Amino acid sequence: MRYLRLLALFFRTELQYELEYRTNLALEIVQIVVIITTSVGAVLILFNYTTVLNGWDLGAMLVLLGCFYLVQGFGELVLQPSFEKFMEHVRLGTLDFALLKPASAQFLVTLRNFQVVQLGQMGLGAVVAIVGLGRISTLGPGEAVAFAVALVCGFVLIYALLLALSTFAFWFVRIDNLMAIYWSFLDAGRFPVDIYPGWLRVTLSTAVPVGVAVTLPAQAISGRLDLFGLAVLVVGSIAAFILSSLFWRVGLRSYTGASA
Amino acid sequence: MGEPIIDVRDLRKTFRVTERQEGLAATLRSFVRRQRRDVNAVAGITFRIEAGEVVGFLGPNGAGKTTTLKVLSGLLYPTAGEAHVLGFVPWRRENAYLQQMTLLMGNRTQLVWDIPAADSFRVLQEIYGVPDESFRRTVGELTELLELQDLVHKPVRNLSLGERMKVEFAAGLIQSPRVAFLDEPTIGLDVSMQSRIRRFVAEYNRRTGATILLTSHYMDDVVALCRRVIVIHHGHLLYDGPLADLAERMAPYKIITATLRDGAAATIDLAAYGTVTGRDEGRVTLKVDRQGAPERAARLVNELGENLADISVEDPPIEEVIDRVFSEERVGTAT
Amino acid sequence: MIDVYRALFVGQIQAASQYRVQSVLWMLFSVIRPVIFLAAWVAVANAQGGRVASYDVRDFAAYYVALSLVSNLATSWNAYDFEFEVRMGRLSPKLLRPLHPIHYAVVENIVWKMTTIIPLLIVLGFVAVTFDARFRATPVHLVLFVPSVILGGSLAFLGGWVIATSAFWTTRVHAVSTLWDRAVFIFAGQIAPLALLPGALQTIALVLPFGYMLGVPAEILQGAVDVPTAMLLIAVQAIWVAIFYALLQVVWRVGVRQYTGVGA
Repeated sequence: MRYLRLLALFFRTELQYELEYRTNLALEIVQIVVIITTSVGAVLILFNYTTVLNGWDLGAMLVLLGCFYLVQGFGELVLQPSFEKFMEHVRLGTLDFALLKPASAQFLVTLRNFQVVQLGQMGLGAVVAIVGLGRISTLGPGEAVAFAVALVCGFVLIYALLLALSTFAFWFVRIDNLMAIYWSFLDAGRFPVDIYPGWLRVTLSTAVPVGVAVTLPAQAISGRLDLFGLAVLVVGSIAAFILSSLFWRVGLRSYTGASA
Repeated sequence: MGEPIIDVRDLRKTFRVTERQEGLAATLRSFVRRQRRDVNAVAGITFRIEAGEVVGFLGPNGAGKTTTLKVLSGLLYPTAGEAHVLGFVPWRRENAYLQQMTLLMGNRTQLVWDIPAADSFRVLQEIYGVPDESFRRTVGELTELLELQDLVHKPVRNLSLGERMKVEFAAGLIQSPRVAFLDEPTIGLDVSMQSRIRRFVAEYNRRTGATILLTSHYMDDVVALCRRVIVIHHGHLLYDGPLADLAERMAPYKIITATLRDGAAATIDLAAYGTVTGRDEGRVTLKVDRQGAPERAARLVNELGENLADISVEDPPIEEVIDRVFSEERVGTAT
Repeated sequence: MIDVYRALFVGQIQAASQYRVQSVLWMLFSVIRPVIFLAAWVAVANAQGGRVASYDVRDFAAYYVALSLVSNLATSWNAYDFEFEVRMGRLSPKLLRPLHPIHYAVVENIVWKMTTIIPLLIVLGFVAVTFDARFRATPVHLVLFVPSVILGGSLAFLGGWVIATSAFWTTRVHAVSTLWDRAVFIFAGQIAPLALLPGALQTIALVLPFGYMLGVPAEILQGAVDVPTAMLLIAVQAIWVAIFYALLQVVWRVGVRQYTGVGA
């Protein structure tokens, strides 16, 4: 509860700041619109030549693309700015301040900074998903719930992955390259993970679960994810969250010299 | 006196550093077999600080001051030894402890660059769970003491270094801590801003009774604020006691300044009375053995008679004492 | 001039050797996106019985491998660097030197390409094998590829500089270059080989310069166009390079006047 209030406060502070720079805000939104419409265009070009792509028709593909921008938007809304700041804190030694606060350091560091404008990316992603859904029209309450659960799991998976990656900053300080690998792999989430050849599919669904984080919510909303799959996703996400948090704690202990 | 606020016993902190040469080949080699070396940053120090004290923590760069402060504030686990602050073991980082202490670092900022400090204060209030009532009171007091009125509403990046440090102080004290660790709080500030910060620290200590342990490179800070100092060097405790006695203990000599009448300076050789360390027109400074100082002064007065215009006997300046301690000239070599 | 370039090369090679790991990583990232679209087109082709228009699965593989190679050889990131330099006031000292700043960028790009070409070829070889790529190129195609990729690279480089000079007028180069990048994404052959762009888009793509940066050299290397067409395309590339060269001259001159006029 207290953490939710803090989160709202972080968000509000950032919002105030971004609202001061209206031109920037407008330009960022224009960029988001351009990027998403061109991506939709790319999907339309593909479907100019086919009606179905590995069992995904145009509606399902748009839902998937919408989910992709929801997940990526979430990443850029809070995770990317926060984790970038975190690496900067490690480099400058200002991480100390977060460790001295009577609150979870992991929370204070990893959910601290927002790029509020990225809500636009999530919103537009939602629009694309809804348009796609309109073509499938199988949305019952069951699918809606499954979708919401799967999407949250997707967020958690992405968070866990970034947390685990950024933990390396405690030992290596400069890990920008490592993070950049992640962001370029995320790009692969724009298509269903099963179109990729073996090695890439395995990478995308296990080591870098961006494929899972995007594909499964899209399957859930179009009624193609069964209860068992959903259960596996939920358990997997929780496990990923716990494991990455433990790993973060190990990194923190090494930072404070507990295990040196 | 009750329990001490800070109680440190035989505290040690050893860092294991990896030594690595430049170049790819060396990097690869060190990947296989690392060259490691232990550095004793803090090599067993013991001290206690009572409630309300302002203690200066002195030592040259690398003496272990910052490491000690980091251990006491809970940022570092010590290698051995015990420490209690407010009855807590700092490195357990219990919320109840963190709630009551602060660590201010002169060369690092916790304020967010692009937003006004007032917004950062609000965030800190929420993090520390300070009730609105006392938050308003604290901010009001700090604003008055530090003269922050115009500063807290500007984005931090638009503040000067000194202004930023004042705001930084306020940010670090939002939770009204009972213990404050100040690491080089005046570093890089101009003289007048230094003295402003000094006055603030003294006043804050007087008003709130907070216990303060501070490190500084500027002896003026220490002289103005601390009656007691703790001196460490190479991780060892060299001195712990009143600032006033530091010179007596650490510098076995005194400074005699003799001012000679016009013309006399050229003809009289003062080297017989002590080591001449300075000569400026008629003013000559002499370094003399501490015990022998009164006798030398008396001889000077007697023997120079008319030629002596003025004479004073003083402890050496505190910077010099400290400098001497750190350059490890051992006691008893001066005449 | 040759001496100057030799000196610049030595300096850049030394600088680049410090960022070896980084450059190879960035090179790898640039291969990810073409592979994504390759996989998508393979899926489309498979749904259509193995072929989309004139392309079958193995043609797509060859096209995207060629495109990756061309993208790496032809793309440069000077717009971002340049904006940074203008914003931080670091351009002024460079303007004082007797050498146009563009030469530094030329050398920087060539060195970067030299340091990444071997790992790039290994990675692309791996992709080509995975997707079973089939190149239809004849030796003549290979010969024509050389001027085509050089012209494509020059065009992309000059275009990037024109965009970068917008930093003289606006601090929001990022927005401008996002638009440019998205145009490249659609029209340069990243989404699809130019031949597969639907009706109007294809016409637009042939009129705009973007396709001549990446898509055209890639199609020549892959062997998708016959030799006379390839030569025609190369001629159009040369015209575009001339246009952008002239454009950059004008924009640069006006821009520098604007920049120094403000007294930055």
